[in-house]
Amino acid sequence: MKKRGIGIGSIFYGTGYGNGFPDVSKAVAQLKSDGKIAIYVGATEVGQGAKTALSQIAAEVLGLSVDDIVFINEDTSITPDSGTAAASRQTYNTGNAIKLACEKLKRDILEVAKDYLGLNSIVGLTLKNGYVYPKTLPEKRVSLGEISESLESSLKEEAVFTAQTTEMDEETGQGAPYWPYTFSACGVEVEVDTETGRVEIIRAVLAQDVGRAINPELIEGQIDGGFAMGAGYALYEDLKIEKGKIKNNSFTNYLIPTSLDMPDIEKVIIEDPESTAPYGAKGIGEPVMIPVAPAILNAIYDAVGVRMTEIPVTPEKLLKAIKEKEMTYNEGKN
Amino acid sequence: MKKIKLTVNKKEYMLEIKEDTRLIDLLRDVLGFTGVKEGCGEGECGACTVIMDGDIVNSCLVLAFQADGKEIITIEGVESEEEIHPIQQAFLDVGAVQCGFCTPGMILSAKALLDKNPSPTREEIRAAISGNLCRCTGYNKIVDAIERAALYLKRGK
Amino acid sequence: MRLNSIGKKIIRVDGLSKVKGKALYPQDIYMEGMLYGKTLRSSRPHAYINIDTSRAEKIDGVVKVFTYKDVPGKNCHGVLFKDHEVFCSERVRRVGDPIAFVVATNKKAVEEAIEVIDVNYEDIEAVFDPLEAMKEESVKIHGNSNIIYHYKLRKGDVEEAFKRCHVIVESEYKTPMVEHAFLQPEAGIAYTEDDGTIVVCASTQYPHFDQIEVAEALEVNKDKVKIINPAVGGAFGGREDITLQIHLAIAAKVTGRPVKAVYSREESFLAHSKRHSMIMRYKTGCNKDGKLLAMEAEIIGDTGAYASWAINVLRKAGVHATGPYEIPNVKVDSYAVYTNNPFAGAMRGFGATQVPIAHEQQMDMLSEKLNMDPVTFRLKNIFKKGSKTATGQVLEESVPIDRCIKEVADRIGITPLSERGGVV
Repeated sequence: MKKRGIGIGSIFYGTGYGNGFPDVSKAVAQLKSDGKIAIYVGATEVGQGAKTALSQIAAEVLGLSVDDIVFINEDTSITPDSGTAAASRQTYNTGNAIKLACEKLKRDILEVAKDYLGLNSIVGLTLKNGYVYPKTLPEKRVSLGEISESLESSLKEEAVFTAQTTEMDEETGQGAPYWPYTFSACGVEVEVDTETGRVEIIRAVLAQDVGRAINPELIEGQIDGGFAMGAGYALYEDLKIEKGKIKNNSFTNYLIPTSLDMPDIEKVIIEDPESTAPYGAKGIGEPVMIPVAPAILNAIYDAVGVRMTEIPVTPEKLLKAIKEKEMTYNEGKN
Repeated sequence: MKKIKLTVNKKEYMLEIKEDTRLIDLLRDVLGFTGVKEGCGEGECGACTVIMDGDIVNSCLVLAFQADGKEIITIEGVESEEEIHPIQQAFLDVGAVQCGFCTPGMILSAKALLDKNPSPTREEIRAAISGNLCRCTGYNKIVDAIERAALYLKRGK
Repeated sequence: MRLNSIGKKIIRVDGLSKVKGKALYPQDIYMEGMLYGKTLRSSRPHAYINIDTSRAEKIDGVVKVFTYKDVPGKNCHGVLFKDHEVFCSERVRRVGDPIAFVVATNKKAVEEAIEVIDVNYEDIEAVFDPLEAMKEESVKIHGNSNIIYHYKLRKGDVEEAFKRCHVIVESEYKTPMVEHAFLQPEAGIAYTEDDGTIVVCASTQYPHFDQIEVAEALEVNKDKVKIINPAVGGAFGGREDITLQIHLAIAAKVTGRPVKAVYSREESFLAHSKRHSMIMRYKTGCNKDGKLLAMEAEIIGDTGAYASWAINVLRKAGVHATGPYEIPNVKVDSYAVYTNNPFAGAMRGFGATQVPIAHEQQMDMLSEKLNMDPVTFRLKNIFKKGSKTATGQVLEESVPIDRCIKEVADRIGITPLSERGGVV
């Protein structure tokens, strides 16, 4: 028999290294000779979209398009240390460092433009689409390329961002260990085959707090990917370690979700900007995954009335639990 | 050693190879098509997918001599001289790429599907890429991209 | 605020090279005259070892077999504690510990040489169950105790509060060690530049930290080490700890030639960290109206043979143990424990992924006992602007968990349990 059930899960997640450990990101912004802006950071692109999202922050500050940002993050000899690409911290930490560096660079650019254009002040100067001009007189303008050519050495600024966390009390655990916190909730509908113990995910919704969305497409991609990893955690993945040896050490026996295991997901981006974050944006790489497995477990209970306290919920485990429940039920009837 | 003749991305190659050389090693190490990725070496992940005479194969499971007389397409042979292939464009447009390691194989599986079935359903798309593992995207945007690519291809005609 | 770039679905800047198959991952880099390397790893979980490489060194094509004796600087690394050895010197603590690194002119010679390195294992009693490992009398993996961390969270008085609870649920939850399974197996190439700088090109999450660890093992100034981080084929926490970076750097420095290594999928499973398995004992209680009053949790995380990020992971598990709910009385004890299992470290969620397996089922169990639907129950208890977490941290802005739950409930269609009728 096939039985359906619905479940939800909700979570919070604290960004960063935490507990007072110095969480530092550095960034360098430089005006290149062709008028483009180079950003140097040690933040790794692991596929999460750091290069794109962080370029968007630089582009926003400097009124440019992302095509005018040259993002360099592959070589330790020319990039500053921006911390690890983990703990969902790059958007918040390195994003803040880039924003600060670009704001400083922008000020430098406006100062040079002021002299170049023979103005008295940088007040009311606009930097947009590669030109600097008084906002009341757009025709009087100079391009970033012209500014760069007029200088003997290139304009370059470095900025450091250090996140605020405190060390917790050793005896009571009291303190402010992480900041900011990010929230999310997931809802799923599953169908359990009570003959085979197989669980199929029929529908799914995930609502993710992002502070502010820098790139909704990237966020949606993270939500889909986090859902898949969460579903694998709930239903399939187990290294089967026996006497310290991993039995499932290949994709033949260590199963991760395939395209056939994934439902389409209704993705809801919740914005509530965080004032200490770059344009309000919080990191979401981890939180997108976290509420998925508990939502599936609660949906399984809703479908067949068994609490699965040990994951993954393999068909064998679930069948056994359903049988045990039926036996208890029948005993109760007799 | 064995002499073989095969076409890769429309170019013909005459090669002398060892009998135990895998097709993936020939393509990557000898011919330099490093867009062919090795993710598992046992035909489970699909990162090494190439198209051989119109069908997708895992190039880690094919011996090079088995490709004698065949026509192979790798990711490097998908685009034209002027522009990238509509499938590649669709992958970019809908955000179907993350770490990118599965991407070449995904695009080739998509191409083999769309070459035969220009209007696949989402279920057919899911089935067509079920041999290609991805750990980043959760597949949904890849399915979206292939749907979008089908539209682009129709419009292009 | 009017924004031009923020909020836009801009096409990812690294996308074009990836769809064209042109993005270079470390395995895609080939250099003139490069050598091939492969790691010999422990087949035993806990043993003293003796290594004889003489037969392997004689194989045609083998340039050198590296062991702990060949590490110029510190034979250790680790993100927090330096408890990993670059190559095991006397003792292996898990299956998969690196013992030697063969470097040869061709792949065949590498494979042959690996087979004929003689490792004499003298097995030591091993411990695989973290609960056993916590006992005083257990065999120790490092130092005097296998308990490397104990996080204590104390808020209010749980004992007194449980007495006031109308409903209490108690359960034990277990989560397994799992694998990151990023699609690109570890690979790298290292070489020496004309000025003596060692360049290591490998996929990593934190190139500047690798730079320090490589420099310490080589005993050179950090400016003499350059880490190049080309395209990375997924990470999820599994590329936080060093895998092949130091091996390649030493080999390149000693041989003076580029050295490349590519892990098979099986070796990838062995080489990097895993998600901590956890045992979580939870007791949660609320009053008649569904207001949470007390929660007590004991969390035991198995970090396997090495600490990696265990302390931070179990700390994060402890801090997040309540879930996003205001609970006035909380007692949490979380422990990180060494065993002879594969080592655990960072993986997406970092301790905060395990605890919701427990707290979210506890919430549903409580709401069911109260005959209240799980959404209503959660909304009564969730963090709001101004809430204090169990650690006493005030959430004073950007706390939209209510909106997240409502959106989800609305779209998935949660009907109150009472209206749904019998299940099974």
